[in-house]
Amino acid sequence: MEPTKAQQEANNDKLRDKSVGAIEQSNTASDELDIDAILAGDKPAFEQLVIQESPRLFRVIVRILNDDDEAQSILQETFLQAYQRIHTFRRESKLTTWLYAIGINLARATLRKSRRLSSLEDQDVERLQPSFSRGMFVDSPVEWDPGRMADLSDRKRIVRKAIEKLAPDYKAIVILRDMEEYSTEEVAKMLGISSGAVRVRLHRARQALRELLNPHFKKEAART
Amino acid sequence: MKIVTLIKTMLGLAPNCEKVNQFLGDYMDGSLPENLRTQFEEHIAMCKCCKPYMEQYQRTIEWTHDCRCNELPEELVEHTISFLRKNADYPQS
Repeated sequence: MEPTKAQQEANNDKLRDKSVGAIEQSNTASDELDIDAILAGDKPAFEQLVIQESPRLFRVIVRILNDDDEAQSILQETFLQAYQRIHTFRRESKLTTWLYAIGINLARATLRKSRRLSSLEDQDVERLQPSFSRGMFVDSPVEWDPGRMADLSDRKRIVRKAIEKLAPDYKAIVILRDMEEYSTEEVAKMLGISSGAVRVRLHRARQALRELLNPHFKKEAART
Repeated sequence: MKIVTLIKTMLGLAPNCEKVNQFLGDYMDGSLPENLRTQFEEHIAMCKCCKPYMEQYQRTIEWTHDCRCNELPEELVEHTISFLRKNADYPQS
């Protein structure tokens, strides 16, 4: 029998709890990377990079692609390319920032090739921005319903769906900045754009997300 | 909105809702300059539109962070290392 959505959510939560420890463990090892050895092509040093960065990099790629199998294969390709191109790393950023740039570019290229683009295009993100007339809101925001906001598993499902809908460039920024909490400067380097562009796109992405969430959480209008 | 703030806004001495909205991202990230932050907070405290909007914007950020997926295929790292050993031209040690 196929598992229900609720069962799938519960299984995912269990998996998440199990893997949090592994991720925290890998984060504490962040100072142990021997960059000089990696740049010299040292295999164990490079494998240490794989062990340390795979969990976080996988999270980023899987959210961009929304496909576990594809994300695993892009993760492997990312490390392969990184190893083969390690001589091109110029120490102008962190090694991990350079690595993530490779992974994100591969993930976005895969999306473009498969034409499995997000349902929203850039112009749709524009449509989801608030409207103003003479500097004032055209439509007053409706308060959100605390009851609906409290339902954790349902809320996560709704928010994930909304993130999936974002146009690829906006989605990548939201994942890197708001989920993974990289700094604006690091995100700019990973995506090859200016910090100003990251700030503008992040704001627009958050506003688009808020608008996508609005129908799910707003209070019902009082019935007269 | 308080009458004083409203008059200041109308005279262009204080930011209107649209301007405040442009500051929202920088305010949340703590990068809005001090003088603008004060004007921003005065406006938010008084405005019936911007206050709920900001609360919802903030929740959107928090909820996005909550959606960080930590589920990892069990043999992810092992498979990646095996793949590299097979395909990368590792120098002989």
